[in-house]
Amino acid sequence: MPTPYLQMTGVRKRYGGVTALAGADFAAEAGTVHAVLGPNGSGKSTLLKVLTGVVEPDAGEVRLEGRPLRPRGPRDTLEAGISAVYQELSLVEDFTVVDNLVLGVEPRRWGLRDRAQARRIALPWLERFADAFGGRVPADERVLGLDPGERQVVEICKALVRDPRVLVLDEATASLRRRQVEVLFDVVEELREAGVLVLFITHRLAEIRAVCDRATIMRGGTDVTTVTVGELPEQELVELMVGEMAAVGAAPSTAREQVRLEVRDLSGPRVREASFQVRAGEIVGVGGLQGQGQGSLLATLFGAERRHSGTVLVDGREVRPRSPKQAVRSGLAYVPGNRGTQGLALGRPILENMALPSLARRALLGVGLSRRREVEAARSAAGRMATKYGSLDDPVATLSGGNQQKVVVGKWFATEPRVVLMDDPAKGIDVRAKAELFGVVRDLAASGVAVLVSSSDDRELVEVCDRVLVMFEGRVVDDVHGERLTEETLVAAAMRVTGTEVGS
Amino acid sequence: MSTVERPRAAEQGDNAPGRATGVLRRLARDPIVVSGVAALVLWGVAALVSPAFASWSQIVTLLVLASFLGVIAIGQTLVVIAGGEGIDLSVGATATLAAIVASRHMDGSNEGFVGAVALALGAAAVVGALNATGILVFRVPPLVMTLGMISVVYGFIRLYTGGRPAGSAAPALRSLVGGDTVAGIPGVLWLWLGLSVLVIWLLRRTSYGWRLYAVGGNPTTAYLSGVNPRLVKASAYVLSSLFAGVGGLLLLGYTQTVFLRLADPYMLPSVAATVVGGTALIGGIGGYLGTIIGAILLTVLDSFLRVLQVGGGGDAPRQIIYGLVLLVVLSAYGRQKRLRQ
Ligand SMILES: Nc1ncnc2c1ncn2[C@@H]1O[C@H](COP(=O)(O)OP(=O)(O)OP(=O)(O)O)[C@@H](O)[C@H]1O
Ligand SMILES: [Mg+2]
Repeated sequence: MPTPYLQMTGVRKRYGGVTALAGADFAAEAGTVHAVLGPNGSGKSTLLKVLTGVVEPDAGEVRLEGRPLRPRGPRDTLEAGISAVYQELSLVEDFTVVDNLVLGVEPRRWGLRDRAQARRIALPWLERFADAFGGRVPADERVLGLDPGERQVVEICKALVRDPRVLVLDEATASLRRRQVEVLFDVVEELREAGVLVLFITHRLAEIRAVCDRATIMRGGTDVTTVTVGELPEQELVELMVGEMAAVGAAPSTAREQVRLEVRDLSGPRVREASFQVRAGEIVGVGGLQGQGQGSLLATLFGAERRHSGTVLVDGREVRPRSPKQAVRSGLAYVPGNRGTQGLALGRPILENMALPSLARRALLGVGLSRRREVEAARSAAGRMATKYGSLDDPVATLSGGNQQKVVVGKWFATEPRVVLMDDPAKGIDVRAKAELFGVVRDLAASGVAVLVSSSDDRELVEVCDRVLVMFEGRVVDDVHGERLTEETLVAAAMRVTGTEVGS
Repeated sequence: MSTVERPRAAEQGDNAPGRATGVLRRLARDPIVVSGVAALVLWGVAALVSPAFASWSQIVTLLVLASFLGVIAIGQTLVVIAGGEGIDLSVGATATLAAIVASRHMDGSNEGFVGAVALALGAAAVVGALNATGILVFRVPPLVMTLGMISVVYGFIRLYTGGRPAGSAAPALRSLVGGDTVAGIPGVLWLWLGLSVLVIWLLRRTSYGWRLYAVGGNPTTAYLSGVNPRLVKASAYVLSSLFAGVGGLLLLGYTQTVFLRLADPYMLPSVAATVVGGTALIGGIGGYLGTIIGAILLTVLDSFLRVLQVGGGGDAPRQIIYGLVLLVVLSAYGRQKRLRQ
């Protein structure tokens, strides 16, 4: 048997008491797209970080083209032609997109940075991905102003600029919208033709079927099996990924008569005259093409972005939060779109992150905390989201990506909100946990909460929402519900609007 | 506080020697343990050089000296934890201000004691409020703001005293700081103990403490979770000045009369004690227990240099060495800050 292009054998890694990898084996061929699948915390990211030299394994061997690879850091593997997009974004917010793309590989001329050359390397990729940036080439924009999906695309370009032979994409599509994913997949196809090995971690079934040739399934730190994707029905693939799972049927709507959230002519930095209602017990989606103000709408409602004009009523009472603090007081909760920079204090313990929004409720006289009560509250929230953690005192950064995301959502339960605003809450969460998350959202709604949720994945919106508002350039341009609520209509609604608006 | 305990490591069934080295390695990386060991070693060496160092009375004296630094560094710890490049260089000046105001109003008698203390702490709080306003409203970097505040405070002191500070400590204050109270331990140490318990409780078991860490760890997250980060940071600066004021009062009780630059020597050591104790300059990490150890370590070092009488007993060489050590410590920890990001 010929040796595989990439081979990892017996890779082990443990952190304190947590075993991330328990002797995993992995092999992949050049010119293929190879998926790495499995539930949250199963060791996917750790395995690929061992490959890229970010994580030093306790044991195990990595061979590329038959030659052992013993990197002392990502720099060494970069030289070997391995380049990666990690789950945690790594961009420098204050730098421009071009500066980020060439960071670490800046072309130099006579010892000085060669800006012209940097642009020559970076621009082709940005132009290639222009559609993913909504048709523009944001070369000189600062990363600070980009939304999570666009940042992700910049990360991908950054990996591509390095001209890899092995490209690692660790949930690089988690916050991408349909169009962005399409552009990426075109590029991935080309790379495959050119003989590049693409390692692809995702929790989205449709993506696995669309581009992946082979798939290795991980569970509990080891590889369970490796399959050829085309030969396997979807149901079996899901079972391999997360075990047996009851099919999630569309749950009946729990919407009541009473209007809980009413928004009239709301305008903000990227929202224009949005008007809609959400009833108690109703789950309303916010969809549309990428970057049409979905995130901004939620942030503006929560007081995190400045409201220019408009009225917002909760249970018939006007609320004008000038800060999230006031919004929380009026019964709002907000799951932000960017977990690393907005959702978590990564260096602080899981316990504190969970407790933060609801501290005052449990504190004696608003001040004194009881550790026991905090631990109980955090455990119950973590349990509700099926979060996998070692100890509540560990920094939240030690959790796997999906489990971190569960904390970002779970920390709001204890505030007993009346209106829940969620910006792409299921990104990076595995198939089973996603079903559980939306089950929890359903329960919340059933108890009378109004839910407004945006998602980068139209399929999610169709599965979980009673109704979907389609946004375009900051306006709510369509309200898709009932029979019309299918993925196809959502796409069409977003596209058709594009056509008419551009034409007029 | 700075070390995140991992009880689960103990639950693991790994082989005993492996676990033992694991624990050792974790201890060796814990700044509180490292500073504590360093303080003990220094003290041991000092006792070998000069046996008087090991006497009970000398130990008490050391701790009393450390207590002034320790109390002044309480606020420094809070401000550094609150993050955003948080630092308060005006603690020395503020402590001096409080001492000077108090001494003038006490004027060696117990009559105006409470009023004088209130006035001194009030003056200190004003300094803190000014710092907070400059830093949070006018967005002056904390380093610049608090450095500038030193001149402002000293200018004010000069105006206030006409260059010659008046009065002296109330007898009550004197006996509180110096007099034996319980078990041969001077009151100031009991006071320090009480304040320490209070501050550690504040940081670990109050909503204020948890918010402070969250703001230092990630202000955006704190903000989006319903915390007002500016208010939390502002309060840290006001508390910093207040505790500096308390430190100034204790110093006054110790020295009994004041002079213009009374608490100046505490400016950099308060920062050094904080970072040596494991409170990271990036914010959101650390705690007061470490600062206590840091304060003791620096005080032992200072006394040790005095005992050695480097350079023939003059004060200048000792100052130079102490200053160099502070510089090395601060730059080492500053570099760590950059590495972490
Ligand atoms: N730096 C770390 N310190 C401690 N534990 C860690 C660290 N990194 C990972 N782990 C643990 O190792 C396990 C595997 O994590 P990993 O990130 O590889 O999971 P994953 O398969 O990528 O999950 P996800 O789908 O959620 O991204 C998790 O239980 C995680 O908590
Ligand atoms: Mg991962």
